[in-house]
Formats: sequence, structure tokens, C-alpha cells
Amino acid sequence: MPNFNIDSTKNNTFDAIVIGSGMSGGWAAKEFTEKGLKTLVLERGRDVTHIKNYPTTNMMPWELKHAGQVSYDLRQDNPIAARCYNFREDSQHFFTKDKEQPYVQKKPFDWIRAYQTGGKSLLWARQTQRLSDLDFEGPARDGFAVDWPIRYKDIAPWYSYVEKFVGISGEYNGLDVLPDGEFLKSMGLNCTEEHFRDIVAKKYKNQRHVIYGRCAHITKNKDIFMKQGRAMCQTRDLCRRGCPFGGYFSSNSSTLPWAQKTGNLSMKNDAVVHSIIYDDEKGKATGVRVIDANTKETTEYFASVIFVNASTFNSNMILLNSKSNRFPEGLGNDNRLLGKYIAFHNYRVSISGEYEGNLDKTTTGRRPTSAYVPRFRNVHKQETDFLRGYAAGFNASRQIHQDTNGLGESLKENLSNASYGNWNVGSHMMGETIPKEESTLSLDPEKTDQYGIPQLKINLDYDDNDEKMIKDYVEQFTEMFEAAGFKNIKAHDIPDKAPGLDIHEMGGVRMGHDPKTSLLNKWNQLHTCKNVYVTDGACMTSTSTQNPSLTYMALTARACDHAVKESKKG
Amino acid sequence: MKRRTAIRNLGLATGGLMLFPSCNFSEKRVAIALNKLQIDIKEEILLEAIIDTILPETDTPGGVALKVQNFVWVMMDDCKSPEKQESFLKGLRLFNPKVKEKHGDVFTDMDKAERLSVLKELMDDQTADKDLLNFLHTTKGLAVWGYKNTEYYMTQVMPYELIPGAFSYQTCKTIHSNEKINSNA
Repeated sequence: MPNFNIDSTKNNTFDAIVIGSGMSGGWAAKEFTEKGLKTLVLERGRDVTHIKNYPTTNMMPWELKHAGQVSYDLRQDNPIAARCYNFREDSQHFFTKDKEQPYVQKKPFDWIRAYQTGGKSLLWARQTQRLSDLDFEGPARDGFAVDWPIRYKDIAPWYSYVEKFVGISGEYNGLDVLPDGEFLKSMGLNCTEEHFRDIVAKKYKNQRHVIYGRCAHITKNKDIFMKQGRAMCQTRDLCRRGCPFGGYFSSNSSTLPWAQKTGNLSMKNDAVVHSIIYDDEKGKATGVRVIDANTKETTEYFASVIFVNASTFNSNMILLNSKSNRFPEGLGNDNRLLGKYIAFHNYRVSISGEYEGNLDKTTTGRRPTSAYVPRFRNVHKQETDFLRGYAAGFNASRQIHQDTNGLGESLKENLSNASYGNWNVGSHMMGETIPKEESTLSLDPEKTDQYGIPQLKINLDYDDNDEKMIKDYVEQFTEMFEAAGFKNIKAHDIPDKAPGLDIHEMGGVRMGHDPKTSLLNKWNQLHTCKNVYVTDGACMTSTSTQNPSLTYMALTARACDHAVKESKKG
Repeated sequence: MKRRTAIRNLGLATGGLMLFPSCNFSEKRVAIALNKLQIDIKEEILLEAIIDTILPETDTPGGVALKVQNFVWVMMDDCKSPEKQESFLKGLRLFNPKVKEKHGDVFTDMDKAERLSVLKELMDDQTADKDLLNFLHTTKGLAVWGYKNTEYYMTQVMPYELIPGAFSYQTCKTIHSNEKINSNA
């Protein structure tokens, strides 16, 4: 039956294959299908269709059996996933359970995964801050990692392109450290956040800024959102359940249905990518080897361009596991730097306090964002004994007290009333970490997972630079809090808290000018296998302090544009 | 005013329920289905009586009518460690003997006022067995949580809105001294 194989190859052949359907994979799907490419999206998890598969989204609090708490057994079975703040009774079904994919922790690292259609775009914190040249020039200026092969001007139009589709609520601040974007209306800072903003501006002579945290929420109806079937954010603040309004951006609510409408999208769930197929004769990648998560059968799919958007660590894994005669150390890995220079965001410390002012004021309702403090350390030159710096979240909310003393009628009476206390104020640090050669991902030589794929070995930790930065953050924010008249200021550092819960792991397949010292070029193509692009967090040369998803989306759209132009050249 | 009227009406609507004792002390009833905790009907009835004392029926529904006892059992059964479960059940089982020893009577046979004073005294007794104290304080904590998480509480007492609507966040609302504060707003 000679025709059988030919047919099956034909049926399994597409113009483009995208590995992963999360934040960046969804964008690749949208861009390619819109440009007319027959596109296969491979998703290792189950299908989660917008609205239909958000089982808890319209539940009232009293309909949750455990009032939002996760059961003891579920916590015991999933010590890693359960450490994520978003692992709740109403959202735990969107987290990959620990047993699904064991990994080796050379040093403790909490690897949070969400294998399903849409991936972590269902669960993200939706903060969308642009990088600036002060970030892109960081490694070159400060002598770490390698120089980014792009600058802000290269990505700025793509930030705008993505933001107009996603919908970003923001305020124009005119800051060089955090460029403005395409903003919809702001939901506003509250009066205590404004107080902090004003005090900080005055004390530091406008060198430190407290701004409204830009976030991927629709705050103005526009045609482009209606076409996606998305409506304004209803400030439910239940994003982790999936939003029936599409008020916040996710692949599920936005890019994937958009791609589906073109008729060019083939979506395959339960498709665990084993490796990318490299053809020594053709000198390029020809397809992807996929294991069916249910039957464990292997199938090969083919395309002329392959986008790797499997999430930072999985993208590294797939490339490391893609061994051929030409690339015995993994695809594109001539320089043996694949899986190295991994970094993350340092979220280890937070600070809290109380404010006794504005006592005649309060907020009502639930705002799905908070204030944001862009990096103010080492912005234009090196000023401290550590490299780079940190951004921070900042939030103020009025305390509401309820007296739970008493028994019987007096208790019921107490519970029928509430009173205002002081304002709670809090901030958390988002520190840039330095990618280092010894911060690595590798494949365990012996241990494999249920699909026979080598387990990932993670070797990452905080370093001296991080410790110094934590100390500085606590000192600076204590000073800022004191200046604002905040009381009862407490720093919360958990030194044995493993990295990972920032869920901002980056690098390993970094971009750079030189094939000797980087894996990807300025278009996110593997230097030595140009029809393979990596546009998720794995491509990041340095981390900056900003929440990275927006940058992944912009880089993806830019790389898709490049790939299509290249293919037209033939 | 409207809210008060609504609550009063709710009281009328549930009046039938209030005329009868909220505890069904009959042992001929279906036991709650739990996965881990091994309890008998008597123990269920005892917990119900305690819940009824902590959050009694007044002109508004009490804990038992709102099935807060089920919340306590389910949370203990599903969300607590085996150690905490063990201590809870130990404490529960120390309750009747302790009450009998101190007051010479069975808790469920006492009238409401007596039950309230007995429970108060026990909970404030720092010399009491630590499992017993743990049981009582855990029960109260969960009862308060469960009560505040009921549909009744979240619609009638402190109304919760699932869909507040676009731009419903108020950044700087002036507080008026006579306004009712809604902890779920």
C-alpha cells in the first residue's frame, strides 16, 4: 500500500506548525491563519473552549463546596501547583497536576504549568508593561549575558499592534523607563494610592513613579473587540475562572477563536511534542514528532515553518530532545548554550503597612489591577552594589473589620455589622535576575516521564545580586512607606521560598547577534535552523523587570510577519 | 429601609421553619455522607446542637437552618489534615462527658439559655483539654465562615455581586457615618 504513507504525509502536512496554544502560540496561530497559512496548533493538554469549558465561571461563592479552599488531598498530591496563589477551588482544574510531568530539581524550583488550550493565558495576572531601551541595552551596558539583537524601535510597532487587539487599560505617563502604549480607559488609582504617588514624586523629585498598572482588560467598547466576541471587563475579579465576557485577554477568548474563524486552523489537543524533525539532506526542520497523550502513539506532522511556543522550559526541552546527526546536542545547539542562561523574576519579598489617613474615604467594587512602581534603581547608570533593579506592585485597600466575638445572638448581631479600619497598603517586588551560564535546564540522562521523554532537570537559584536587591527593596520601600506616613511596616521575606512562583521563567534559547553566543537571531529564528522560530519566554536574552507576556506576544507577531515574508521570497 | 423590610419578609416566609425546633434530634434520619470522618448520628446531632447554640435561630435564620453544620463537616472531612481531623473528633467525643461531669446533664437535653452558658464556659476554660478546646474553636471558626458564605448572608446581610459591571470600582468614595457597611461590596 504505497499510497498510504503518501496520503498520511499529505494529511499531516501544513504550512506552519505552532507548538503550544498559550499566550504566544495563540498569537502565532492568529497571525499565520490570518495571512492564509494552513496552520496546525499542537497543544499537549485538553481542550478548553471559551466559556463552554469554564465550569466555575458563573458560580456564586456559596455554590463552591469548600468556600474556595482546595481539599487536603489535592494539596498533598500537588505540593508544587498548590503553592501558586491562583490554585483555588474554582481554578485548580486549569493547573497541571504535579504527577503529569515530574521533573528533577537540582535546586528547588516551583514550576507552574497549565496544559490545556490557552495554557497559562487563562491564569495570568494580566499586567502588560512594555520593555524600553533601558532594558534592551541592559546586558550590553552592564556586561552580562549578551547584547539584545533588537532595540525598542524594532518592537514598538508590534507592541502597538498587539495592544490594539488585546485591549490594554492604562494611563499615559510619559516615562522613558516604561514606554506608553495603546491605552483604553484607566480604572484609576484610589485615593491612598494617589497619596503614595504624590509623596513619592515629591520626595524623590520625580525620579520615582507610582502609576496605574497597565493591564489586559477591555475598558472601552471597540469594533475590534466586538469582532472577537469580547465585551468590557465587568470587574468581577474572578479572572482565574475564565471570563465569560472575554473582559481580559486570553488565547481562549481572543486569538484562537479568531484563528478558527479563518478556516485555516487545525487544532490538535493531547499532542505532546517529543521533538522537532531535522532533515540532514534538506538542511532544515521538516516537522514535529508528537505523542498522543491518551494512546501514547507517535505521529509525525510536517510544515515548512515551525514555531516553538511551548512555554519557556518546555521549549528548551523540545529543542534539547530534538537530536539529529547534524545536531547531536539538540536542535540549533552548536554552541552548547541551549538550556543555559535561564533567569526569572525575583518575587521573594513583599512589604505591608497601614495608613491612618483618608479615613473618611473608601473604595468599593473589585478592580482587577493595582498600582505599579517602575524600576528606579540603576536606570541610567550604575548606582548601587547590585546590577539592574526591580519594579514593584503597590496596592491600597480599606480594612473592613467584623467582630467575631461572642456566641449566640450577640455573635449574629456582630456578624450583621462591619466597620472600617485603617487602610492596608502593600507592595511586592519584581526583581530582574541576571542570566548566568550555571543557571541551566538539561535533560536527565536516566529519568523519563510517562511518554518516555527525558525529564527536565532544573538548576536555578537566587544569587548574591538577588539578595542585595531584596535588601535594597526593603530599605527603599520602608523609606517610601515611612515618607507616606504608613505605619506598622513589615517586610515579608521567605528566604527558603524557591523561585518559580513568579511564573516568569525566561531564557535558555536566547536571542543575540552572534551564533557563537546565542541561539536565536533578531527575528527569533534559530541561527542554524532558520525555519524554526522560538518566540515564548525561552527567547529572552535578559528578563527586565516587566511582566513579560506582552513582549512575548509582540515578538511572536513580529516573527510571524518575518516568517511569512521569508516564505514568499521562497 | 428596604433591606430591613426584605429581611422581615424573609422572616415571615421562613416562619414555618422557625415555629419548630431547628434541630432534628431524632436518630432516625439520614447521616451526612463523608469520605474520611467516621461519625455516628449522635455525633452529628451533637454538632448540630452546638451550631444551633453558636448561631441560633432568631428573627433571622440560624446556622442549622442554613445548614452550616454540613459546611463544618465537609470542611473537616475534605480540607483538614488527618491530625486535625483526629483532634477534632477527639474533642467532639470529650464534649458530652465533660458537660455531664460539670453540669450533670446532657447538652442536647438542656434549654437554649443553658446550652449557651455551658458552651461559653467551656470555650473560655483554658484548663480544658486541648482537643476539646480545639474542637470548639474550630467549630466556631468554621461555623462563622460557613454562615458568612451562605446564600442568605451573601444576599440579605452583606450582599455580594457576581457581576458588579464595568467601571463599578469606586476609587475614592466618601463614607457617610450612618451608612451600612457591606463587607462584600
